[in-house]
Amino acid sequence: MRSEADRREASNRAGSGPTREASEDEQRESSTHPTAETPVVADGGTATAGATRSADAALPEESLLRVRDLDAGYGDLQILTDVDLDVGDGEYVTIVGPNGAGKSTVMKSVFGLTSYMGGTIEFAETPIHGLQPDEIIHEGIGYVPQNDNIFESLSVRENLEMGAYILDEVPEDQIEWVYDRFPILRERSDQRAGTMSGGQRQMLAMGRALMLDPDLLLLDEPSAGLAPDLVQEMFDRIDRINEEGTAVLMVEQNAKQALRRCDRGYVLVNGENAYVDEGDALLNDEQVRKDFLGG
Amino acid sequence: MGISETYTRGRDLVTSRPSVLIVAGIVALLALDLVRQIATPGGLSTTQLVGYLWDGLVVGLSIGLAGVGLSMTYSILNFANFGHGDYVTSGAFAGWAVTWVIAGAGQFDLTTLLFIGSVSTRDLGVSAFATPLAIVVGLLVAAAATIVLSLVIDRLVYRPMRDEGGISLLIASIGVALALRYTIYIVFGQRTRGLTDAQSVPDIAIAGGFGVGGHEVALVVIAAALMLSVHFLLQTTKLGKAMRAMADNEDLARVTGIPTERVVRFTWIIGGGLAGAGGFLIALERGAMNFQFGWVLLLLIFAAVILGGIGSIYGAMFGGITIGIAQSISLVWLPSEFSTVAAFAVMIFVLLFKPDGLFSGVTTA
Repeated sequence: MRSEADRREASNRAGSGPTREASEDEQRESSTHPTAETPVVADGGTATAGATRSADAALPEESLLRVRDLDAGYGDLQILTDVDLDVGDGEYVTIVGPNGAGKSTVMKSVFGLTSYMGGTIEFAETPIHGLQPDEIIHEGIGYVPQNDNIFESLSVRENLEMGAYILDEVPEDQIEWVYDRFPILRERSDQRAGTMSGGQRQMLAMGRALMLDPDLLLLDEPSAGLAPDLVQEMFDRIDRINEEGTAVLMVEQNAKQALRRCDRGYVLVNGENAYVDEGDALLNDEQVRKDFLGG
Repeated sequence: MGISETYTRGRDLVTSRPSVLIVAGIVALLALDLVRQIATPGGLSTTQLVGYLWDGLVVGLSIGLAGVGLSMTYSILNFANFGHGDYVTSGAFAGWAVTWVIAGAGQFDLTTLLFIGSVSTRDLGVSAFATPLAIVVGLLVAAAATIVLSLVIDRLVYRPMRDEGGISLLIASIGVALALRYTIYIVFGQRTRGLTDAQSVPDIAIAGGFGVGGHEVALVVIAAALMLSVHFLLQTTKLGKAMRAMADNEDLARVTGIPTERVVRFTWIIGGGLAGAGGFLIALERGAMNFQFGWVLLLLIFAAVILGGIGSIYGAMFGGITIGIAQSISLVWLPSEFSTVAAFAVMIFVLLFKPDGLFSGVTTA
């Protein structure tokens, strides 16, 4: 757990954080001597808002998902403050950050699973903040929770059928589509989902979320609890799904891997935006590396 | 497995769980004694034993039928509904009022019939064989009335409390139980009333001088058919799968787009329908009922459901039959006053081996 002072410092640095326009040298410069160049800003929110704005160039031209000034939390407890986030059509976006930064909360808020406290969330230009998950699913967003993301007592096939519950008919072609992407699920079609391994469960959870052929797939730590070789495989599969046109918004603990593969990354600190840039740029940014990627 | 390993395992079992050994010993002794009693001339006859088993099956299926609803509501709504026994009674009274009206219309005073009042059951002559239409309609009304009742109670009492803990709901359900029981008491009175004309129910003779009552057969056939229907509903229909999904993981069900409130409603429809139908059939088989027979039965229903593993409907079916048979087979050794004790003893013994019940972890599947 980082100290309060550390967090504030990180927020301040964010004011001069990397953007697409800034040259590599300037970035190094500004992030190596953050306190020298940037006055300490008492209100961290101001600094983070600045960070997001200065990164406009990195934003997609038209956002599929557009989050602005989002405040959200659980019950009365506010976790997120003024969070901005964009996902373009077919884009692959990752949110990284320290533990407790509110990464999963952003994702849950998009899916209507937190207490909405302010700001806007638009999906395909339709406001979706304040809607319930069962309404949001109709808009074309699929969500894979981090834990307990399959129905253990149901068979693999039944899990997929549940993924398409809102349709009148079981979409056989979509089940085939999922089976083609995750052949192990076809093999295990009649097996009880609870008896499968961690990697297979994760595939089933993704398969279930893909049953409605969503435009945006929300993945909450898809690599959590997987063996290292399975992590690679999981990321490869996510790449493939993204290449076929589904936009992906992913929260990852495995930040290096995730940033290497994504189009754009957000670093979230203390419930606020700290950095936003192309994945590789974040990965190469010394300050981000030092603070969030373990050197 | 090597001998030494077996020995070690055996020793571990004796030291760590002596109760298991004691129970196994008692079961073995009883089994031996049963063989001895049958072998002894003038002792227990095979016909008697088969009779006990059949009685146990009849009682067990009626308990199981009511238990399925209890287990379903437990697994999907996460609370033990103490009102369930009085749902059984309510269904029975609603159904029998209609059965009597149909059977006795024109012959007797309508109000007396409707309140299942003082009419000679001999003169009325109700039975599944003499007045099949009245019985079938009564059964349907019993199920329908209990469905309506459980939906109304859910809307008024349980739904506003949906997010409260299981204990709050449980206590609310005790209130519901009392309200229902004494409403029936006020409307229908306290006395135990005869319902059917025993004379018009033929005994169906089976080999070796063993016969079964017609109403018993009716109960067994209908109960088995209803349980099979529930099985197919849960395994093959979209709604049934959604019920299992919700029992399994409610949060994920919501995220998946399963309309959870609708699933809850259907759970009450099925659980309530089975409770009402079960109550009607139990009264048919016994030929009599009073305002608290469901409440008295609830203890056995809970025993069956816990024995089978609360939350599992197959556990409820199996637990019901086990409890029923334990109760009747205990008559071989014990006076009838102790049959309920025997049933509970079996439940406790099973829980020693499997603390979560026989079908634990197979939630509604």
